[in-house]
Amino acid sequence: MNTSAESQTPVSSPLIATDIVKRVSGPTGDMTILHGVSMQADAGEAVAIVGPSGSGKSTLLGILAGLDSPTEGVVTMQGQPLTDLDEDGRAKLRAQSVGFVFQSFQLLPGLSALENVMLPLELTQQDNVKERAMTVLDEVGLSHRASHHPLQLSGGEQQRVAVARAFVSKPTLLFADEPTGNLDSATGDRITELMFDMRKSVNAALVLVTHDDELAASCNRRLRMNDGRLSEL
Amino acid sequence: MTRGQQFGFALKALKRDLSAGELRVLALALIVAVASVTAVGFFTDRVGRAVERQAADVLAADLIASSGFPVKQEWLDEAQKRGVDTAMHTRFPSVVINDDDESQLVAVKAVSAGYPLRGALKLATLDNPTELANLATPAKGTAWIDPQLRDILQLSQGATLALGAKDFVVERIITFEPDAGENVMELSPRVMIHIDDLEGAELLTEGSRARYSLLMAGEEAAVDGMSEWMSDNFATDARIQSVRDSGPQLQRALGRAEKFLGLASVVTVLLAGAAIALAVRHFAYRQADASAVLRTLGASREDVIVWLVIRLALVATIASIIGVTIGWFAQLVLANFLSTWFSLELPAPGIKPPIVGTLTAFITLAGFGLLPVIKAGQVPVMRVLQRDYSGLQTGSIITAVLALAATFCVVWLLSGDLLLSAIVVLGVVAMLSVFALFGKYMIRAVRTLAGARFRLSVAGLERRASSSVVQLSAFAMGIMALLLIAIVRVDILSAWERDLPEDAPNVFVVNIQPEQVDGFGARLTDQGIQSNGFFPMVRARIAAFNGESIIKEVMSEREERRARREYNLTYANELPAANEIVDGQWWSAEEEGNFLSIEEEWANEYNYQVGDTITFKVAGVETTGTIKNLRKVDWESFQVNFFVVASPSMLNDFPQTFVSSFYLSDDFSKATSVWAREFPGIATLDIGAIVDRIKTLMDRASLAVEYVFFFTLLAGTCVLLAAVQSSQGERIRESALLRALGASHQQVRHAVVAEFAILGTIAGFLAAFFATIIAWGLSREVFELPFSVNPSLWLFGVVGGAVGISIAGYLATRKVLHTPPIVALRNTG
Repeated sequence: MNTSAESQTPVSSPLIATDIVKRVSGPTGDMTILHGVSMQADAGEAVAIVGPSGSGKSTLLGILAGLDSPTEGVVTMQGQPLTDLDEDGRAKLRAQSVGFVFQSFQLLPGLSALENVMLPLELTQQDNVKERAMTVLDEVGLSHRASHHPLQLSGGEQQRVAVARAFVSKPTLLFADEPTGNLDSATGDRITELMFDMRKSVNAALVLVTHDDELAASCNRRLRMNDGRLSEL
Repeated sequence: MTRGQQFGFALKALKRDLSAGELRVLALALIVAVASVTAVGFFTDRVGRAVERQAADVLAADLIASSGFPVKQEWLDEAQKRGVDTAMHTRFPSVVINDDDESQLVAVKAVSAGYPLRGALKLATLDNPTELANLATPAKGTAWIDPQLRDILQLSQGATLALGAKDFVVERIITFEPDAGENVMELSPRVMIHIDDLEGAELLTEGSRARYSLLMAGEEAAVDGMSEWMSDNFATDARIQSVRDSGPQLQRALGRAEKFLGLASVVTVLLAGAAIALAVRHFAYRQADASAVLRTLGASREDVIVWLVIRLALVATIASIIGVTIGWFAQLVLANFLSTWFSLELPAPGIKPPIVGTLTAFITLAGFGLLPVIKAGQVPVMRVLQRDYSGLQTGSIITAVLALAATFCVVWLLSGDLLLSAIVVLGVVAMLSVFALFGKYMIRAVRTLAGARFRLSVAGLERRASSSVVQLSAFAMGIMALLLIAIVRVDILSAWERDLPEDAPNVFVVNIQPEQVDGFGARLTDQGIQSNGFFPMVRARIAAFNGESIIKEVMSEREERRARREYNLTYANELPAANEIVDGQWWSAEEEGNFLSIEEEWANEYNYQVGDTITFKVAGVETTGTIKNLRKVDWESFQVNFFVVASPSMLNDFPQTFVSSFYLSDDFSKATSVWAREFPGIATLDIGAIVDRIKTLMDRASLAVEYVFFFTLLAGTCVLLAAVQSSQGERIRESALLRALGASHQQVRHAVVAEFAILGTIAGFLAAFFATIIAWGLSREVFELPFSVNPSLWLFGVVGGAVGISIAGYLATRKVLHTPPIVALRNTG
């Protein structure tokens, strides 16, 4: 047990992970990537996970977000153990309460900036999809680029669209995987600022994986991943 | 999500796909598939029916029932009930006498109003050869005659001929009788009169050798119904002939034309199917990452799959509508062109082609695309975080089985032939296996041989091993189709035309007495005419089969026909030219005994087999022979051919005449009237009209085939396009990377062009190999034509493949060479 999360679990914690183990089979036999990791993120709290490449950060992020299943252990999101849900159930939960920002932006190339932002609202069949998406796009300063496709946007602009997409459904949990990793430092700083401002406005918990110490320092808590083990800094 | 919401979402996504060009190649492949299947379908259907109608001219009807007894009233009633048009004719031999009391044996044909129901007679007056408009049928009291009869009896316009108890005024010369070929061996010149004139002419008495025929024509379904009804109820009373049973030459030509068109359409669909397969696979790959993102954002797996399937179905629907429209216009243009050129009236298009076209699109798309699309909806969501999570895996046994099942269904749908469909599927499997296996090793071999200059290109091919092999197979298929179109088609069509040479015999001379043979032969040589030889001919009836008399107390019409019919037998010690033994062996001159060689189809009709004996009665004397072999006869050669050939010992002592055939370029009637005077008794038969008719049919069929192959060409091009497109993403990324690493434009261009050139060369080689095998198979087994290896196939295959594919590949990837590497890397990363 490497973290402080083992004490009282507040009901308000939107994300709790307990004793997460991840093993994969490789050419030289089974390999353990995560060794009994536990952590939690409280509402409105920003948690940074730092660590060297290959230490298991992205694997943990995937498991926390329900994109992958742990070999052992339990992840509880919004009070709901993810292990009780099948993949579609986890997807539904993500649609309701999770936002993502990826290093490689992951915008759909066939859709315009506005359409990319509209996607999460369309998936949950909400009303006034276009207006709401436009409002958020305006908040990230890209309303004038609404009809542009990702390929016509700069890296910074693409990531701003991705941030708008992550927040349009007002998530309670935000996962970010190296959100500034593909950007220059000035652009990266602007994205960080934008992401933190927007997170505050919806009071979402943030789990951030990064190499960037400065970015990690803007979080409430920092955890270090080393060889599949997590420790608080 | 409800189905409605899913549909709405898919519709939105489709709009975006279309505007973003995501589905462009797939839509194009589908449109080409549907358009070609529809156009080919419309066209073959219409031309097929028109050609069939032309063949109907040979019968002067769609259906004929003939027997030795007057036409039954119930046949007429039934035809009327079914809305089938009818006409009648009665044929019998008789003698006419002119004003100078000269007589001549003639073949009388008494026709009713309405004759001919199909085709038209061509007429002229006796003193002016200018063709006249068709006058329907001879008026009562008048006769229309063959030009030969005019020459023999020296008749002029308005002359009188006595026939039976009546006199007839000769009004017209018949220059063309559509159904003359129906009974080629009716040797005497024709006299045509009105059927009502038979009454009181005292021509037909009990035991007359008259043939009474009911001609029927009308809507296809009605005629088919009538044919079935006749066959069910009167098969033993009458001989029922439809277009399909008309003369063996025309039937063969028609059959070949159908095979050509059918084959072209199957090849087109296979190619279009390959293009669809490549394009849908490409689409699935492109959608795999998008589906992972969508599922990260909360879409369920089912939602993603349903959206993809709905999008594909919508694309197929739109492509089908566009394809059917294009197909319809394409055939319309050709149909107009055909009908004006050949004055061929085409029947209206049917409803089947657009249905088959649309079904083809959906079946192909489902067979090739369903599994990749389902798998695209199932890629691990973790791919959004870690690229090393596996992407789309489409290669599996189930994918292959589904694709083959779709191929089978489509070929079956088009051909209606289960065996053919199975053969096509097995052929495709064999071919693709060879492409894959040889392709892989050939790429390796090229790598070993390649210098440093090409190593980069070959390494690229090897790195993308599976997609290279897929691409190679697609290129090979495309090139093979083009080779088949460009070279093999021409070879096969010209072999077909060669099969009926310009100087195919157009005149048959019969009834040459043994003592006239030398003289007549010399006369022909004087006139510069090359005869195909003189063959003895002995007229005989069948008396017994395996020692048992065929005359019974109660006999069916068929049995009676067999018993009454006179056959022309010949004898020879050598197998006649244009004949091939299919069962048993030919006899040698030294062998003792009476042997028979029987034509295969005739043997089948009466169930004669090698070892059976047949007793013939010649001039009242019986002679028996054992069947030693069965022969296949090339009727299209128009040489003198016989159903029965006997060993000389069996027939050479019997009374006989000789028959000969040759090509006559001069005026037929002029030449024949000279011979008639010099060699009394000989009869000449002009089959030029039949030969011309077959040639015309061949020309039309060739043109139709050329046109249909144009669609095959389009489909082949589509495959090449889809194949180039399928690896474009990877190639763009690699090119960008190379440029980022400092490679010049030229180096990258060289690498791309060399990679495509290597693929093109290997594909061209494999394509030439298979095109040769297919050409051999088609010539030998399907079209029964001689085959010869065409070296240009290899030259065009290999060189054309290398050059063509390099150009296509360069053009397809040209854009990326002019895009800054960072943009290319970002776009495809």
